[in-house]
Amino acid sequence: MDSTGETGGKATSAVDFSALCEHQQAWETFASCAVRLIPVLKAQMASVTDETERSALELLVHLRILASAQAAVSEAERAASLSKVVMAIQFQDATRQKLEHVGQALDQWSMHLQALLRGPLDNDAKRHIAELERIEQTYTMEEERRLHTAALSPDYQEPVPVEAEPARPDTDSVTLF
Amino acid sequence: MAKTALVVDDSTTMRQMVSFTLTNAGFTVIEAEHGKDAVAKVSGESKVDLVVTDLNMPEMDGIALIRELRRMAAFKFTPILMLTTESAEEKKRAGKDAGATGWIVKPFNPELMLKVIAKVLPA
Repeated sequence: MDSTGETGGKATSAVDFSALCEHQQAWETFASCAVRLIPVLKAQMASVTDETERSALELLVHLRILASAQAAVSEAERAASLSKVVMAIQFQDATRQKLEHVGQALDQWSMHLQALLRGPLDNDAKRHIAELERIEQTYTMEEERRLHTAALSPDYQEPVPVEAEPARPDTDSVTLF
Repeated sequence: MAKTALVVDDSTTMRQMVSFTLTNAGFTVIEAEHGKDAVAKVSGESKVDLVVTDLNMPEMDGIALIRELRRMAAFKFTPILMLTTESAEEKKRAGKDAGATGWIVKPFNPELMLKVIAKVLPA
């Protein structure tokens, strides 16, 4: 091989090596991002279990009141219990959304892994990891954002500290413009 | 004559909960799964007195739906309540800018919702 070919070969090797290093770095970034986010996803799923449990218990309490044949239960108490039942059943909407957001994060991981598996110099990998680091943008509930922040804090420890939504007066949930 | 309400939510459970509450209060309810569905269903309606819509929906979200409805002469002054799990201030501002009348954070209390409706609905 002549000297020009040798130089060309070395240059190509240098480019390959640089691409491999970049790819290795992309894998490492993905791994550290995944390690950081796994507790977040676990926290979100644990909150779904918790919320389901709380709502089921709440439903039981009020269904007992509604089913009670006792005259001691007034019409007003029955109406209040019916309202509580309607509120408790809505856990399904909140838990559905939380699980959808966990699913969206897993879809992003999958896309990112596929991009990494396609090999070095795949620009999709960079785009997907950027999306992975922004999963909190998919959240629609304050509780999700709070859990996300808590699970990423340095002193975070399992078991997941799932807090109940702080009690708020009903009127706080309404804003009229 | 019974008032008509348009209820828009991609969750069947939520739609039925809101419809149950409004029907018990004497409303006739039109249900839609998302913004596009809602626009299609009310296009031929001569009168809808109230709209209760979710924010995050496929096809067309709540903000886009409100903008679309406010462009229609029949919905210029119709009370539109956003009913959503979202409570972030910037989202509420976006809702207000689009033309929402009010914002209710889920889970909703049926009695409170009816009080709010009584407040925003013209007598």
